[in-house]
Amino acid sequence: MSLAISVNGTRHELDVDPHATLLDVLREELALTGAKEGCTEGECGACTVLVDGAAVDACLLVALSVEGAEIETVEGVSGDSGVLSPLQRELVDLGGVQCGFCTPGLVMSLTALLRESSSPSRAQIEETLAGNICRCTGYAQVIEAVEAAAAQKATP
Amino acid sequence: MDEAGGGTTAQRDAPRLPSTVERAFVNAMHIEQATELLAEHGSDACVLAGGTDIMVQYPRGEITPQLLLHVREIRELQETSVADADTRLGALTTHHELATTPALANRHISLSEAARTVGGRQTQNVGTIGGNVVNASPAADLLPPLLCSNARVTMRSARGERTLALDEFLVGRKETALEADELVTELALDAPGPRTGEVYLKVGRRGAMEVALAGLAARIELDESGAVADARVSVCAVAPTAFRATEAEQALTGTTLEADTVAEAGRLLAERASPIDDVRATASYRERVLPRLLGRALEICHRRAKGRA
Repeated sequence: MSLAISVNGTRHELDVDPHATLLDVLREELALTGAKEGCTEGECGACTVLVDGAAVDACLLVALSVEGAEIETVEGVSGDSGVLSPLQRELVDLGGVQCGFCTPGLVMSLTALLRESSSPSRAQIEETLAGNICRCTGYAQVIEAVEAAAAQKATP
Repeated sequence: MDEAGGGTTAQRDAPRLPSTVERAFVNAMHIEQATELLAEHGSDACVLAGGTDIMVQYPRGEITPQLLLHVREIRELQETSVADADTRLGALTTHHELATTPALANRHISLSEAARTVGGRQTQNVGTIGGNVVNASPAADLLPPLLCSNARVTMRSARGERTLALDEFLVGRKETALEADELVTELALDAPGPRTGEVYLKVGRRGAMEVALAGLAARIELDESGAVADARVSVCAVAPTAFRATEAEQALTGTTLEADTVAEAGRLLAERASPIDDVRATASYRERVLPRLLGRALEICHRRAKGRA
């Protein structure tokens, strides 16, 4: 069946399996492999992307259910120039990335948070991270990176 | 774009259904369109809203729908109304909306607290109240607060409309009274009166992404003298389905929540439970945690009820 979506600002007309997930389409049809396939059960958050600005697990979304939507993946966060977003920069600088498997999902969840709230509380950050599992970095450096990115925004 | 990955999706999905079965998807825009398709396809169709349960069960082979009937864009199912007597929630109301919409979160505090504990934000953004109720998991967080609000479930089909009390709708573990051609359209909740306090408490091993080991919602209404005029207690994850603990409720009604009364209500509650041993907790733990959970819940309800005097 045909699917029209916009991904990171580029419009795509695709022919997809009626029951394919958005994650299948992003990774297999569009070769956008930033969103990772982890648990495929909505537990780990490695596949988190933004659909019309809201963080969702792409592994649980039927692609055809987001017809017409604006999708953002980690490939769109840094943009064509390759310059990291302030959040990505802080994650790198403060040691918030180790193996990196969960990082694209974390970046998407936290990007949505920073748009919702320019200076999120620690509780808000922790609540946002509930749906993203990291098994090697731990969350302390990730939380520090969000706070640093928010502080940067506050004092340009 | 290189098409090398083009066939991979179909191959990955193929084991889900016999290759002779046609997979279909319809994005319904009106209730009538959805109910006509349900009348035609019956149990071969699966209603899809947020998909956070369906799309877990489907790859596991627990369900094998030919038609995914997407209903998330049906406007009538998104409507919410807050009136003096009741609150009507469209079946598509999301967990995130229950948790954060002030008109709902301030009025239905326990429901909002429960919604906040369902999965992560990714799940809360798309998961719906209708889906949580239809899925009828024994551990569904929204069910105890809904039962305490005397929730009524409205269903539509090509045959007409009917409404059932939630405790009649919930038939057993993952079983409901919903027929294959019916669509849940709305949930109606009692509005909390004055001097009423409610809470949802969840027991889990960690704070995030937890399936309840036990969940308890309580709601008490005080009379002008400060005694309990009405008590409601509901639990999940301690029986095949969430239920109202009417014996405990009766033990609390008319009292001032003395320690002995609360202990007796806790005993009656644990007696009604029929928990199982599973990977998350033992039956014995679940039984023992209930009285203490009720005690804590009643303290919070009492404080909140006095705050609304």
